[in-house]
Amino acid sequence: MRTAILPLILAVAAAPLTARQAAAIQQNPKAEKPVADSSAKVAAPVVEATDSGKVQLSKATVDSLNQLVGRFRRDPEAVALPPANQIAMGGRTIPAGTAVAGPVAVAGGPLHVYGTVNGDAVAIGGDVIVHPGARITGNAVSALGTVSLAGGTVGGEIRQLAGALGAVPQAAEAESPARSTRHALALSSSWLIILVLMAIGVLLFAGDYLDGVVDSLEGRFGRSFWAGIATQLALAPVLCLLVVALAVTILGVLLIPFAIVAFVLAVAGLITLGFLAIARITGESVAPAASKRYSARGAALRALVVGVSIYMGLWVLASAFAWAPVVETVIRGVAVAITWVATTAGLGAAVISRGGTRRSASTASFAAVNDIPWQTPTPVTGIVAARRPTPSASTRDR
Amino acid sequence: MNRFLALGLASVAVSVVASTATAQSWRTLDVARQLTDSAPASVQVVYGTGRIGIRATSNPLLYHMQLRYDATRAQPRHAFDVASRKLQIGIQKSEIRFSGRNDTDAGHLQLELSRRAPLDLNLDLGAVESDLDLTGLRISRLHVESGASDAKLRFDSLNATRMSMLEVSLGAASFRGDRLANANAPDIRVEAGIGSVELDLGGQWTQDIDLRVDVTLGIVTIHVPSDVGVRVTLDKTLASFDHEGLIERDGGWVSKNFDSAPHKLRVTAETVFGKLSIDRTGR
Repeated sequence: MRTAILPLILAVAAAPLTARQAAAIQQNPKAEKPVADSSAKVAAPVVEATDSGKVQLSKATVDSLNQLVGRFRRDPEAVALPPANQIAMGGRTIPAGTAVAGPVAVAGGPLHVYGTVNGDAVAIGGDVIVHPGARITGNAVSALGTVSLAGGTVGGEIRQLAGALGAVPQAAEAESPARSTRHALALSSSWLIILVLMAIGVLLFAGDYLDGVVDSLEGRFGRSFWAGIATQLALAPVLCLLVVALAVTILGVLLIPFAIVAFVLAVAGLITLGFLAIARITGESVAPAASKRYSARGAALRALVVGVSIYMGLWVLASAFAWAPVVETVIRGVAVAITWVATTAGLGAAVISRGGTRRSASTASFAAVNDIPWQTPTPVTGIVAARRPTPSASTRDR
Repeated sequence: MNRFLALGLASVAVSVVASTATAQSWRTLDVARQLTDSAPASVQVVYGTGRIGIRATSNPLLYHMQLRYDATRAQPRHAFDVASRKLQIGIQKSEIRFSGRNDTDAGHLQLELSRRAPLDLNLDLGAVESDLDLTGLRISRLHVESGASDAKLRFDSLNATRMSMLEVSLGAASFRGDRLANANAPDIRVEAGIGSVELDLGGQWTQDIDLRVDVTLGIVTIHVPSDVGVRVTLDKTLASFDHEGLIERDGGWVSKNFDSAPHKLRVTAETVFGKLSIDRTGR
């Protein structure tokens, strides 16, 4: 275990323990010269690891251990430690027959307890070994090590910590306006990028469906908006009805989880399609593309990117003011309202157009008039005897 | 329609990705307390998301918890009041946050409890996968409350202490109780919202058992040894009842050996949508 602990300690400091120093720390500490009372004032950190007495650690090693101790002090799972100059660097032994006042702490080595510790016993980057007859009235704590009960007793809790020591990162982040602003900006920007990527994907793989929803929105915006509200209100009852309907049939009970997932996915798909449709319309309105400069698909992509950027730009702007909660709340409120109206209208249009599979009547008739293929039922020379319009193949398909 | 689902799936997936783009700090905490006497203790376990396992320890410890958690999202809880002998352990409930990723792969809690001290065990679980092997423990009372979980409860040997009440309350869950007669509880209550509940009442019967099952929507299966007399009182709405081997009598359903059986199981079941099955073949 000690061999596993040392690399962890070494990772803390730029200058690691030397091999000789590490070996010294690893030696049997039973024969160490004990320190009778941890409250004894010492000028410099003390190493008690060898038969011959005390070994001084290099300054770099001590610095790295102090750094580790500092991190332990900030850890939520830490116990109170004595002052830094009373923490034995490299290890310590509490001999049999002696009683010391706690807390007793060591860093970078083991804490062997043969006697009594009246309080907590702590090893940071080392083990706490409670030998037969030993007694710790408080907690026995090891950070990056183990607590071994070898016959002694611990009145309090036996605690071992592993992993990242120190303060919990989220606490620091929550207190820093700059960090929270950066985090909010990163999140909203990520959403902007994700939506643009989704827009490209929809344009490539479901462009016809998007066209259908756009047509529906352009033709009947007001109706789409109210349909969107009605859809939102109907979602929960429809889901309940679906569940009840499946539950009535015993076998259907098993399908309920799948039905719920499918329902949620379908609704999410409709909302996304609707939002992208209204983003495209917004983009076309705000920045109309020069007709000759872009192809139809290029113009649609440009409009989508512009539209998504406009809607998500509000959120990015709100995130930029995360350091000023009042301003952020106002902008975020505006963003929520605008996004909700857009999403509601888009959802309604997606529902009315059945996910873009059905064009609005006005658009369909317009398309029919323009796409009429005239045909001559009978071959007539010179004079067209009869011509009647028939629905085009594409119109029939819609 | 398939494109719709694909689009919805993509939306949900990117939401998850975006919401989980935060730092993590995984840590392991190992806490234990030596057993000083065998006085009764009260144990409250709170755990929100991840995997949890509970079992008896053979070491002279009152409790031993091994917890792996993300320090940025959770705050461990381990407090033992020596005077009242009340242990609170697990994760602070207020700190539980769903990350959206599969936390069950990473966070886990393993709790070992003393075999010697009678325990009043109260488990407050969230969306967890739990394996509660209470074999060898002395449980005087057991209350399990869980939100959305996959829970297994097991008594492989007879509980040395008579349990006043075994109570399980579930939200949307799959629950399986094995050899529950070994719980040594005269009163068992299982309440579930949606899910499947499977209760195996095998084990050593030392007394009659009153079992109350209340499942709103789901399938309840109760396995009973064939030598135990069974009486079922059922209140059902749009639910089915598989009463094979039972006969209708006095407003309920009873097994033929109900009057002569050395031990009796009285089931009071209430279900709205679903199915209740009594399997008397034993397991």
